[in-house]
Parts: sequence; structure tokens; C-alpha cells
Amino acid sequence: MVSSLGLVTGSTVRAKHIGKDIFAGLKNIVGGELKAYTELLNESRNEALQRMMVDANSRGANAIVNVRFATSNVAAGASELFCYGTAVVIQ
Amino acid sequence: MDSELVLILSYIAVPLVFTLGFPVSSWAIGRWYQSRLMNVLNVQEKQQSAAIGGQLTGSTSNKMTSLTAQSSVLLHTSIVVGPSIGQMFFMWIKSIFGGQLHSYDIVTQYGRREVVRRLQEQATQLGCSSIVNLRIETSTISFAKNKESKTSSLEFLAYATGIRN
Repeated sequence: MVSSLGLVTGSTVRAKHIGKDIFAGLKNIVGGELKAYTELLNESRNEALQRMMVDANSRGANAIVNVRFATSNVAAGASELFCYGTAVVIQ
Repeated sequence: MDSELVLILSYIAVPLVFTLGFPVSSWAIGRWYQSRLMNVLNVQEKQQSAAIGGQLTGSTSNKMTSLTAQSSVLLHTSIVVGPSIGQMFFMWIKSIFGGQLHSYDIVTQYGRREVVRRLQEQATQLGCSSIVNLRIETSTISFAKNKESKTSSLEFLAYATGIRN
């Protein structure tokens, strides 16, 4: 590890789509996994990761270590997916 | 006199059946469906642990000297699970008295185990030989725009570092 370039972050706020919401509501009659939400959250988390990588690239880092994820409810019906890590330069 | 009694009883019974019929059936269906999911998970977990051979390492405070890594990759999976509407209704009643909420127990247990199983699956797909520094996070997702709604579900996120060697 050559040098540390500090904290890099990436986040997205996603609200869900009404069609998916109705489906999830129907699925809630039996419970279990809600696939529509799982997919939605996975793709938004990938986007947050992408943004973090862009941030790290713009600082000239070639690796990110110690990545953490956090999820929070910012408003009713929308959630924020946030990821952060330390950008470093490695050999 | 007799028909009057029947009429009065039906005035009480019919709305009662209509209001309780849906939660009870939803509760029963939810219980059945979730126990079936649990059985499937038990089988899959056994198969997978036999295939991987217990190569799962948690967080460690010491420097690990036994592992030699060629490259590493970030693994992450998430799952959204929720109890059924009927189960939520009965949990709401149960929460007046307090105590263990068995339906939520099943949901959280299922979610955590399933998400770790999927993480292992992803690791084997990406050619990782071991998983280190596994973390699991929990958050809630509410459906409705208004806060009064009791419908909510849980999201479990598992992430870890996959080691290739």
C-alpha cells in the first residue's frame, strides 16, 4: 500500500415503482421473500458502488479497502443506499 | 322468537367472520408457506456446506497468516422478506401483552440464513475459495406513504470479501 487518499462515498436514493408496489402488496398476503424489492435494491446498490468507484478513480486511487454499506429510510416510501470506503493506491 | 335470535346472532356473527376470516386465512397460509421455504432452505444449506466444506471465516482481530490471497473481490447480496398480513395482525394483538413474536422469529431467521447461503453461492460462482470479514445488516422498508400502515418488511444485506487463491 503506497498511500491513502481518504474517504470515498457513493449513494443513491430510490423510491419504488407503483407496479412493483402492488405486486409486493399481493405477495404480502403469504409473506416470504419479496423478489421485486430484492432486485430493486440490488441494482441500486450496484449503482452506489459504481459512484463510489468513480469518486475513487477521480482521486487517482486504484483500490478501495474497508468498504461498508448502510441503508436508511430518508422519506416514507424511499430509501437511501449508501456505501463508503477508503481509497488507496496499491502497488 | 327463534328467528329473531338467529337474526341477532347473524348480525354479530357475519361481520365477525368477515373481519377475522381474512387475517386468519392469511396467517395460516403464511405459516404454511414459510415452513415450506424453511424446509427448502435446510436442504440447500446442507448441500452447499457439503460442497464448500466449511470455508467460511468471520471477522478476525488478528492478522491471518494461514491465508494466501491471489486476488480478492467484494461480494454482496440482499434479500427483502416480510411476514404475511395476517401474521402482522396477530403480532399486533400479541404486542399488547408482550412476549416472543414467533412469526417475526421465523422471518428474520429465514432472511439471515438465506442471505448467507446466497453469498456463498455467489462466492463459488466467482471462483472464490474462502470468505472473510462477513457482515450482515438489517433495515426496514415501509410500503405505504402514510406512517399508519403496519405493513413493513425487512431487508437483510450480507457483504464479505471473497478470496481467490
